[in-house]
Amino acid sequence: MKKWMRSIGLTSVLVAGSLLAACSSGDSGTDNGENGSADDVVEITLSGWGSSPAEQRIFEDIIATFEENHPHISVNVDIVADQYMDVLRTRLIGGNAADVFFLEAFEAPALMETGVLEPLDDYITDEFNVNDFEAPLIDAFTQNGTLYGLPKDTSTLALFYNEDMFEEAGLEGPPETWEELEDYAEILTESTGQYGFGVVADLARLMFIAEAKGGSVTQDNLASFSDPKVVEALQPLIEMKQSEIAGAPSDVGADWGGEMFGQGRTAMMFEGNWTISFLEETFPNLNWNTAEIPTIDGVNGSMAYTVAYVMNKDSEKKEAAWELISWLTGPEGMELWAGAGFAFPTRTSVSDELGLFDDEIRGPFAKATGYATVWADDTNLPIIYNNFNNEFLSAFLGQRPLDEALEEAESVANREIED
Amino acid sequence: MAKQDSNSPTMIKEAGKRYGMDYSKRALREAGQGYAFMAPTLLVIGVFVLLPILYAVFLSFHRVQLLGGTSFEFVGLSNFVRISDDYRAGIALWNTFKYVIIVVPAQTMLALFLAATLNAGMKGEKFFRIIYFLPTLTSSAVLTLIFMWMYNQEGAFNQMLAFLGLPTYNWLNDPSVALTAIMIMNIWATAPFFMVIYLAALQDIPDSLYEAAELDGAGPIQKFWHVTVPLLRPVTSFAIIMGIIGTFQLFDQSYIFSGGSGGPSNSTLTVVLLIYQYAFDSAGRMGYAAALAFGLAFIILTATLLQRKLSKEETFY
Repeated sequence: MKKWMRSIGLTSVLVAGSLLAACSSGDSGTDNGENGSADDVVEITLSGWGSSPAEQRIFEDIIATFEENHPHISVNVDIVADQYMDVLRTRLIGGNAADVFFLEAFEAPALMETGVLEPLDDYITDEFNVNDFEAPLIDAFTQNGTLYGLPKDTSTLALFYNEDMFEEAGLEGPPETWEELEDYAEILTESTGQYGFGVVADLARLMFIAEAKGGSVTQDNLASFSDPKVVEALQPLIEMKQSEIAGAPSDVGADWGGEMFGQGRTAMMFEGNWTISFLEETFPNLNWNTAEIPTIDGVNGSMAYTVAYVMNKDSEKKEAAWELISWLTGPEGMELWAGAGFAFPTRTSVSDELGLFDDEIRGPFAKATGYATVWADDTNLPIIYNNFNNEFLSAFLGQRPLDEALEEAESVANREIED
Repeated sequence: MAKQDSNSPTMIKEAGKRYGMDYSKRALREAGQGYAFMAPTLLVIGVFVLLPILYAVFLSFHRVQLLGGTSFEFVGLSNFVRISDDYRAGIALWNTFKYVIIVVPAQTMLALFLAATLNAGMKGEKFFRIIYFLPTLTSSAVLTLIFMWMYNQEGAFNQMLAFLGLPTYNWLNDPSVALTAIMIMNIWATAPFFMVIYLAALQDIPDSLYEAAELDGAGPIQKFWHVTVPLLRPVTSFAIIMGIIGTFQLFDQSYIFSGGSGGPSNSTLTVVLLIYQYAFDSAGRMGYAAALAFGLAFIILTATLLQRKLSKEETFY
């Protein structure tokens, strides 16, 4: 027995010893390699989510340009394939999150509150000119006067319309007011046999409509969307759906609005600028155009979605991380990125320079950046969002009156928040 | 037989008596050796099963903030008290309950039916056994994606229904049918697993019993109800217990179906999905999620014990 134990002990010592030896030899190998180069290269990691291959390629090119300009920094781009926020939170808790990562405005307040993000105020110089950014987008990443993230780009919604279907219905040009939109939807439905208007029943898309009549979806970080003004503003969508002149992507078996529009199953649709490249690639034969979203009571509206670069508070390479953030969100980096046309710049100087307002297709989106409601609120928006969507859908499908559904969703959301 | 006897406990005891003092020493050594061999397994179970369970107990009594300076605040039973007035927990429990009540009997009966038809001795039995078993081998995530495709508004299911002149449904987005869609999928996917177990049990029923029943004038249906079903009772009991445990833990299908939200209109929200939502959002509700998980474990335990009480499986063995 003792012999047996001893032999186990001996083996484990041997195994451990050889493992240690392997590790140390590995370490010395890399040390030699680094000492060989002239400067010490700082390696930092940048985490983000994946996007279309074309977009990914451009992004990697820009990072390569950064590395050329900053030879002492090497950027390791890490793409999180799915469930970005879950992965990010888990990594932050485990203490192995990237030095710099993407953060959506919608999720930002909850993370800013926990103190895992590095405040950027002390890094920002006058030369960086933070006032050049669109103010609402900077606000989305500011909490109690402290700035935690610099918006890398923004995307907005505009009206996509199918020119062939408009011609078939004898309509000229896009609708300019909400009343026109309703009339057009009816005419288009009758003459083409497809839905006149496509609606995505999602608060992230509908918030500007919900708030168009003076109501507010949230108040003091609580849900307040049962406000009669919000109900009144959303009611037309329900009515259009009930009279079957508007449909959701799922009604025609499509996964999202762009697909529904591309398949010619709706003549009009509010979608984001990401749909442009999708339509060009997937449905090259479709005749379509874009316009600003019709005004509600004479006022323009749209949604804006923005993503920022934020710095991990536990990062050990903050200087290099700031160099990366400031270059990517600086005029040079932003012009390269926004010039690719996937999203809009957040600096007004870059917007002016790129002349996006005059672009026929992208112009309506660029104009919307000036008046769009930013999809961001406070720490409880995710809870409010989830509860709104759950109950709004039942009203949208005609299973219960809108006011009743929203009242219930509001009370559930607020009870969940107050717990 | 003789070989077995030499290893029997009494023999070892006698051998121990013969060696007097040596007995306890040897037993100790053997026990030590046994534990040494088990050590890797014990270590793995301890680290990956026991410790997490104990940690979950700890979490369920605390208010936990994991992000940014992990903090635990002892709150006693308040996490458990909170469950009672959580509206979404009520919905999740009700959905899960409906799911269990329909899926467990349905999949068990379907499994028995499939096994009985396969056991009838028709041609190509092996071929059908493999075909039937395929769904169980498929990963549930892949299965869900394929089914979502078929459940599409213009997908295979609706086309089939329309062809038969039946009403079609918006399976994925209509709150009144979304859970049913998941039920159908899971019954289809899980029944074959229990079918294989039934099949093995069916082949163990002695032919003499059927012959005796025939002599008494029993027809095929009577033979099935009075010989096959009672003799399969232990297996049925196993299938139901495993079914209850599995169905109460429904997560992946409804997660993929609803994109993690439990929608449309909370109709596919299950208890485990709710636990996941609470545990991984940033509001620091990990402690509450742990308390919910214990609530679910308690419910499963109760349901299983109840089932065992009702089905008196000892009668035949």
